[in-house]
Amino acid sequence: MTKFKILLAIVSLFIGYNQLSAQETISPSRKQAIDSLALEKVRDLSKYISIVGNKDTPWSEANRVIERTLELFADGAMMGVSSINREEVNYYGVREYLERLMALNYDKVNIEWYNIQYISDLERQPDGRYVGVITIYQRFEGTTEEGLRYVDVTKKDITVYVERKSTQVAGRIIGFWDVLLGDIRVSETKPG
Amino acid sequence: MKRESMQTVRQFVSMRLVMMLILAISVGGSMTSCQSQKKLAKKKAAQELAERTAQAKTDLLAIINDQGQMTLEEKEFKLNSIKRMNLEDQEVKDLIVQAEEKISAERAALERKKEEERLAREREAKDKGQYSSITNSLNAVAGARDVNAANIAIREALLQFAGEDAPVLILISQEGETKDYDEPTTIRKYLEYLKDQKKVSARIINAEYDSNGKIKLLELQN
Repeated sequence: MTKFKILLAIVSLFIGYNQLSAQETISPSRKQAIDSLALEKVRDLSKYISIVGNKDTPWSEANRVIERTLELFADGAMMGVSSINREEVNYYGVREYLERLMALNYDKVNIEWYNIQYISDLERQPDGRYVGVITIYQRFEGTTEEGLRYVDVTKKDITVYVERKSTQVAGRIIGFWDVLLGDIRVSETKPG
Repeated sequence: MKRESMQTVRQFVSMRLVMMLILAISVGGSMTSCQSQKKLAKKKAAQELAERTAQAKTDLLAIINDQGQMTLEEKEFKLNSIKRMNLEDQEVKDLIVQAEEKISAERAALERKKEEERLAREREAKDKGQYSSITNSLNAVAGARDVNAANIAIREALLQFAGEDAPVLILISQEGETKDYDEPTTIRKYLEYLKDQKKVSARIINAEYDSNGKIKLLELQN
C-alpha cells in the first residue's frame, strides 16, 4: 500500500511537471501576438489620454473615457507627471491624473504619443505572468486663452503585465490574455 | 620502223607508269587529308560536347541554388532544354534529378499558395457578403465625423444585436486547437471603443444569432 502511494505521488508529480512545462512554452507566433496586444493597449491609452485632455471633448464623454481608461490599469497603478518648470516628478493615481488632466487650465490641449516600443521584452515570471516595459514619448501642448503656449516632450516607461486567463462565454471556455498596465514612470522631460 | 614502234611502246608504258604513280600519290594524299579532317571534326565535336556539358552543369546548378532570381517557368524552360540535349555525363544526370526535385517542390508550393489565396479570397468574399450589414455598422461608428454622429451610429448598430451586453470575442492568435483571445468585451463597449479609436482593425469571423435573428455573440479576428 505504501509503495502504491509513493508510486501515485511520483506519477502526480510527473503529470504536474508536464502541465507546468506545457504552460511555460509558448510558440514565437503566439508570443508575438501577445506582444502586439500589449502594444495595442498602450496605443489605446494614448488615444484615451488625448480624448480626456482635449478641451473639445464633451464632459460626459470624457468621464466615460476615464472609466474605460481605468479598465486598462492594474489596481494601484501610479502615473508620473513632470514639467520643465520643476525638478521633481509627481505621482498620482490614474483616476486623479485623468481628472487633473481634464481640468487643466488651458484653452486648448493637444497630447500625442509616439515611438511606442518595448524597452524590455515581455518575460515570463515565476508566478506565470509576463512582465515587460514599453516606452513612449509624449508631446504635450497647452495653449492659454491669451495665446501662451507650454510645450514639453516626456519620455515615459510603462510596466505591462500580461496573464493568461480563461472564462466562460455563451457556454464556451475562452482562453484570453489579460493585459494590465502598471506604473507609468517619467524618465526624461525636455522643452518641446 | 621496228625500232620506232618499240620506242613508242616504251614511251607509252613509261607514261602509264607516271600516270599510275600520280594517281597513287593523289589517292594516298586524299586519304590522309580525309583522315585528319575526320580527326579534326571529332575533336571539335568533343570540344563542343564538353562545352555543352559544362554549360548544362552551370545552368543546372543555377536552378538548384536559385534563391528567387529566376521564375519557375524560366527554370522549367532551362531544364527542358538541357534534357533535350541527352547528355551522357553522369554528373549532369544527377543534377537533372536534383533540379527536377527542386522545381517540383517549388511548383507544389506555388500551387499550394495559389490555392490558399483562392480560399482566402473566397472566405473574404463570403464574410463580406455574410456580415456586410454588421461590418457597415462598425465602419459607420468608427468613421463618424463627431461624437453625436458616432452615438447615432452606435444606436443603429445595436439594433442588430440581442442586447448591449452581447459578448464580443477578439481572436488574436490561433495555433491548431489553441485559440488566444483578447479579454472578452460587450458589443456596447466595443462600439464605444471604435468611436474612441476611430478605426476598425478586426474583421468579423463569426456571428451567432438568437431565435429573433439578433446577434447574440460576435467573433472578430485581429
